[in-house]
Amino acid sequence: MRTRHVSAAVLLGALALVGVTSSGPVGAQDEPVVVTIGLHAAEKNLNPFISPQALPITHDFTMLVYDTLFWSQARLDPEPWLATGAEPSDDFRSWTVSLREDVTWHDGEEFTADDVAFTFEYFADGEKAGRYGHHVWEHPQFESAEVVDPLTVTLNFVEPVPSFELLPGGDLPIIPEHIWSGVVDPEADATGLQVGTGPFRMVEYVPDTSYRLEANEDYFFGAPTVDVLEMPVVRDAQAAFAGLQSGDLDFVTRNLPAPLVEGVEGNDQLDIIEGTRFESVYLTFNTRKPVLNDPIVRQAISRSLDLDTIVELVEGGLARPGNDTWTHPDSPWAHPEGGHDFDVDAANAMLDDAGYARGGDGTRVAPDGTPLAFTLLANSFAPPQLRSAELVAEQAAAIGVAITVESLDPAAITAARRPPAPGESPPVDMFIAVFESHAHADPDHLYFFFHSPGQGVGAVFSGIADPELDAIMEESLATPPEDRLPQMEEAQERFAEVVPAVTLYYPDGRWAYNVDTYDGWISDPGHGVFTKRSFLADYANVEGGDAAGDEEAAPTDGDEEAAPTDGADETAAPVAAGGDDGPSAGLVIAIVAGLMAVAAAVALKGPKRNRAGTVED
Amino acid sequence: MRRSLRLAAQYVLVVVAAFVLNFGLPRLAPGDPADYLAPPDSAGVLTEDERRDILSRYELDGSTGEQFGAYVRNLGRGDLGVSIRTGEPVRDVVLDRLGWTLLLVGTAVVLATAIGVTLGFAGGWRRGSKRDIGLLTTVLAVDALPAFFVGLMLLLVFSVELDWFPVYGAISPGELGSWAAMRDAATRLVLPVATLTLAGAGSTFLVARSAMVTELQEDYVFMARAKGLTERAVRRHARRNALLPVSTAALLGFSTLISAATVVESIFSYPGLGSLAFDSVVARDYPVLQAVFVLLALIAIAANLLNDLLYPVFDPRVRAAGSAA
Repeated sequence: MRTRHVSAAVLLGALALVGVTSSGPVGAQDEPVVVTIGLHAAEKNLNPFISPQALPITHDFTMLVYDTLFWSQARLDPEPWLATGAEPSDDFRSWTVSLREDVTWHDGEEFTADDVAFTFEYFADGEKAGRYGHHVWEHPQFESAEVVDPLTVTLNFVEPVPSFELLPGGDLPIIPEHIWSGVVDPEADATGLQVGTGPFRMVEYVPDTSYRLEANEDYFFGAPTVDVLEMPVVRDAQAAFAGLQSGDLDFVTRNLPAPLVEGVEGNDQLDIIEGTRFESVYLTFNTRKPVLNDPIVRQAISRSLDLDTIVELVEGGLARPGNDTWTHPDSPWAHPEGGHDFDVDAANAMLDDAGYARGGDGTRVAPDGTPLAFTLLANSFAPPQLRSAELVAEQAAAIGVAITVESLDPAAITAARRPPAPGESPPVDMFIAVFESHAHADPDHLYFFFHSPGQGVGAVFSGIADPELDAIMEESLATPPEDRLPQMEEAQERFAEVVPAVTLYYPDGRWAYNVDTYDGWISDPGHGVFTKRSFLADYANVEGGDAAGDEEAAPTDGDEEAAPTDGADETAAPVAAGGDDGPSAGLVIAIVAGLMAVAAAVALKGPKRNRAGTVED
Repeated sequence: MRRSLRLAAQYVLVVVAAFVLNFGLPRLAPGDPADYLAPPDSAGVLTEDERRDILSRYELDGSTGEQFGAYVRNLGRGDLGVSIRTGEPVRDVVLDRLGWTLLLVGTAVVLATAIGVTLGFAGGWRRGSKRDIGLLTTVLAVDALPAFFVGLMLLLVFSVELDWFPVYGAISPGELGSWAAMRDAATRLVLPVATLTLAGAGSTFLVARSAMVTELQEDYVFMARAKGLTERAVRRHARRNALLPVSTAALLGFSTLISAATVVESIFSYPGLGSLAFDSVVARDYPVLQAVFVLLALIAIAANLLNDLLYPVFDPRVRAAGSAA
């Protein structure tokens, strides 16, 4: 018996594991529609004053809980949302917004014009952080708000804001005055549950781990088509797609990678929906570095890139090659021509003519002796970006430009993009990164990113300072949307000439979902499919939208309303109310203690007999 | 007495060194928390003013000397600060994660040791036999597989194909504390533990096997056989002595497996210290990194200390040598 202790321990462990596996899923009663969504990253607590962390879904995730005046910024004719309409003054410097009736905050308080006035004042005051504020204090600059009556508010701006309905109207989350009015440091609250007017209420947030949102039955567009959104953070891409295939997850916020498309198409439970978040993978030059400050060099590098090949090799053809005009082709502001000028011979000729002769090793040298050798930074956590960087280096070699790829984590790349002191040139040569819809749908996007240093974030971004580009973009700021397209096109043409950056490709949006659990997903251009409209009966792909919501005074958690989904049954997800971590600690201690006991038994048995056994020694 | 004083002094020195390194290491990486808060994908919307705001919020705007002073003061008060990434108190986060990691790594160490020792002794007992060569080849082959690969394979087979285990998390969201929740937690533990066990069993196997081989060459074994003891009795003697290096390996393996757990926790979205450390490195979340590294260093040091203290208990020869000196 004594000799068997080690084997006994093995057996014990094995038994424990086997015993455990025989357990089935937790029992479930009358099923609400629960959709489990694997998030590719955590997004703190959706506090709109905190910098985005889970791009590109940050905005749409936040907008499940909050609402904007209009929806959305990604179209020229945004739909009235919290607003029912907005009238500009003749000079476009003030807008009178009329608001929807009978809207309540998630905590039951009434939504009024005071909240809207407060939101603009609060975001505009003190240059608050987060991605939203700068559309109120930077451009356009907000001045004041007057509450006309509980459902009407006039917003005044320092400058003309012809595109108010898009920005900030289609972008700024409206926050409740009764909660935020006393908050001096809005960034400090990174764990509290947010209260908005949106289609879902936040009921649980476990930092880094999971979110639970429940339907706002009183939503002004009718109760959402899904009762519960269970959202665990599953960072590992392989694990996330494994979860989709095993049925643990119903949707994954990651784009379905090209190699997995075939497998998903062969799976009866899964379907693919396409859409676009206006994403782009781009390469930016530091236009303040010697040699790279010559537009001819930048243009030549751009012309040396065979973007079709990059799309084929990196994304398996499931993407569109980049346009030299930058803006995403589906954005309302895109230049209709677009296109990319790939011409290695022309690129070589340009450099020859400009005096960049080839050196002994084939790398070109500037007239002043500086070699055309650069370092390209790419995000080590984004394989497609790394792969793209390698291909860029390979292709640029054909015109005598030597590019070394360096793979760094995002913070290190940002550090390299930061000027050592204000006004100086940052150390980076070029880097690859990704943009999402906000960067393409915003009518001021070219102004923000490529205006000369000192305004917007142009300096941080590429350092480009082109007076002609500046002039076109400044003019376009004050032009109403309907007259703006020609100017935007002109700006994009100029962009293609000065090449502060090159769009490598526009990834197609492809998302896989479990058809049995929820089939209502729709594509909302600029937002993809993980967005509020996918859960609203008026828009979602569900039979017979039941916008006629029931009027319960106090909606309880376990309501038994069967939301309209196509044959949704047997969602085996366990449903339970929020709780905290108390008992888990007990569990941990119990199991650890048990294991320690086994370990101690193994350890102690040995030496005791050891003493007896080594008498002869 | 003098020996234990020397031992204590040594350990104090190591702990102090760990605390100092712990402050310096995270800061050696390029970039700082503000750079993480403005990742390239967000087009770097942070202005210089915002950068300064963020850094001063976390007391990171002073000189390195000032920051170190604050670090020591806060550590002395037991104040670990607030996570820059999630905004939670570091103490709560780390303790919460520590529980899961201890559960995961503790289970894996026990299993890896049990399996490694069983197989290692079996192989070492008949070195060169078909069984030994077979075991050695298999174990070395499994050991050579990277943990992330093993984890993914287990996921594909047992979660996707067989649908026995969930693919993510340590526990279902929602109500905890019930019997069902404990079963749920145990179910979610299986694959991560299996991955980690496979990652750890190889080295224990090698240690156990070579310890057995060494013991079998000792004079007492020769003597025992000469006396005509049964093979079973001989094996018992040899096994006891061979357990000594194994106990050391198991204790030290604990800290090794905690680092291996980083990969495993990432694959299985397991909320342990490893994935916390990884996410915090990416975010340059100095307060959390400091706390996690201190904790890991202390665990490693404690394992060493335990080994130092237990060895004389297990092995009378060490005790004899100690008192003679």
